[in-house]
Amino acid sequence: MVSGAQVDLRSRSQPAESALCLEGVTRRYANNVVLDAISLSLPSNEYVSLLGPSGSGKTVLLRLIAGFEVPDAGRITMGGKRIDDVAAHRRGIGFVFQNFALFPHLNVFDNIAFGLVHGEGAARIDRPPGRARVADMIALVGLNGLERRGVHEISGGQRQRVALARTMVTQPRLVLLDEPLGALDANLRARMREELRNLRERLGVTFLHVTGSETEALAMGDHVIVLDRGRISQFDVPDAIYSRPATPEVARSLNCYNLFTGQSGADGFSCTHALFATSRVKVKCAQPTYAIRHDLISFAPQEETSLPDRTGLLAKFVTSEYSGSTIRHFFKVGTGQIVEVENHLSHRRPADLEPGRAYSLTWAVDDAVVFG
Amino acid sequence: MNTPTNGLASDAAKRPKDRRLVSSYWLITPGALWMLLFLVVPILMMVYVSFWTQTTFSIEPTLTTQSWENFFSSETYVGALWTTLRIWLIVLAATLVVGYPTALFVGLFVKNKTLSTVLLVLCVIPFWTSFLIRVLAWRPMLGKEGAINILLQALHITSTPIEALLFSELSVVIGMTQIYCVFMVGPIAFMLGRIDPNVIEAARDLGASFWRIFRTVILPLSMPGVVVGAIFVSVMVLGEFATAAALSGRKTNLLGNIIVIQVGSLKWAFAAVAGVVLTALMGLVVASLLRIVDLRREL
Repeated sequence: MVSGAQVDLRSRSQPAESALCLEGVTRRYANNVVLDAISLSLPSNEYVSLLGPSGSGKTVLLRLIAGFEVPDAGRITMGGKRIDDVAAHRRGIGFVFQNFALFPHLNVFDNIAFGLVHGEGAARIDRPPGRARVADMIALVGLNGLERRGVHEISGGQRQRVALARTMVTQPRLVLLDEPLGALDANLRARMREELRNLRERLGVTFLHVTGSETEALAMGDHVIVLDRGRISQFDVPDAIYSRPATPEVARSLNCYNLFTGQSGADGFSCTHALFATSRVKVKCAQPTYAIRHDLISFAPQEETSLPDRTGLLAKFVTSEYSGSTIRHFFKVGTGQIVEVENHLSHRRPADLEPGRAYSLTWAVDDAVVFG
Repeated sequence: MNTPTNGLASDAAKRPKDRRLVSSYWLITPGALWMLLFLVVPILMMVYVSFWTQTTFSIEPTLTTQSWENFFSSETYVGALWTTLRIWLIVLAATLVVGYPTALFVGLFVKNKTLSTVLLVLCVIPFWTSFLIRVLAWRPMLGKEGAINILLQALHITSTPIEALLFSELSVVIGMTQIYCVFMVGPIAFMLGRIDPNVIEAARDLGASFWRIFRTVILPLSMPGVVVGAIFVSVMVLGEFATAAALSGRKTNLLGNIIVIQVGSLKWAFAAVAGVVLTALMGLVVASLLRIVDLRREL
């Protein structure tokens, strides 16, 4: 990541109390820096999503917090106490694995009870409170009646709940979820989003949810952390991330911005085939980039005269992709770069566009995010 | 059948499927015929012959239970049965004790797939030499003036050579364990290699100690491998005669040795009795091993 990016990690509504603090946490594999001096304070009792492309170091960060790996430098503290050298199971942190990692030879009840039966100070299950706690957890995640089923005899969504209940029964203060919805089909994924959020609210603990999906991160997180190449690019509430990405990398990982590289000057932002008007607001960044969201662009036949307060460029229409409520149009500019325009069909009828013809794409000057 | 209204429809839908199933039976015909001719018929023949009348030099198809009575009233034969059972149990235990930790290392702790394959191949090396050479090679190793005795005396651990090392039950057990250990290691390592590392990490994260994880997660998940390995070892050890003959100096007689001797002296009925007993024993052992784990579910 570019070094010039100034990221204010506490930009908005950061609660005073924090569940977990990382200070300068670094992890290297051979000469490869996977995590570069990560500093972070997780708010307590919140759903935090951690968004990053594959290779950004998000799983390593999660494993460091969980205690499966040891940082090469830095401090991890929980409630003021250092936990870097505390064994994973004594940290009060639960971990939900991507593929759930349920015990295949145990039934639902025994899976959930595992931490109480075999954990430190074992045989806690024999005391009524232990058994009751397992029963409570089964009721909480809605698995009543399935206690004696094997974990291969239940659905994917139910396995997900077993994985969560198995972790929650040990009463962690923080739960780490490694792409917990990745193993589910699309339909179920949407339902489990809501279920996970509700469950977290009832339990009152912090969830740190790692995902590679920008929609999942934005939909689920009270706060979203964006990780890129071992550094935190942005840590903010979802709508701030969405409408005001802090770096070009954040904008790129959101998958809803057209990005142009070029030069930012007094007369605007110039890139190879266009000069965009810019407002005063600029995000400081070493790599000048101009970003405009897919859904903020409108298009018109070339002849139309431009309106004040709008800027834009000329591009040839290539093709469209229809996906129910929205339609995406793809335009090609002179450099060969593809510009995406997204229209919500509830707002307007799909336009009749002619492939190969040039259109003028325009947007409000203030809608663009300028890095420079 | 279903209700009359949809009965016809489902009949029609079923018929082509049935025909395909029936015609697919042809696929197993060669195998079934082969097994019938060369396995089932000989076994039935063996049972039949065990009831024939044995005279000193000939055998007649007059049915009698004389051979069976002789077998079970003879100390030699019943003794051989017990020796077979004893050696089988000792070798089974020894291959498990030697093989399980090896499999644990190869299947679970070696993360590199290539290395674990190389290690498994190393276990097969004893099979690269012929059986005779392998067994004979034990003699200069275990003999009275063999390598082990020379070493023990040179180190002043013993003053006189240990004679029990060769031509004893011990040498038979040592030899068999070495030969059959790989059949225990292979299936167990295979099952251990299939355990999702995340499952073990999850158990650790839930606070289970190494021994707890081994006892409650690793061991149960590797049981199908143990059972398959035990079946391999059992079937081979129960039918053994060559290792016992070569390493015990013909002092240890297994059921297999009895059969060889009886056939050699043309006592076909006796050999058949021993054969039936041995076959029944193997069937019993395999059946009871299969009861430990439901292999259909696990594999």
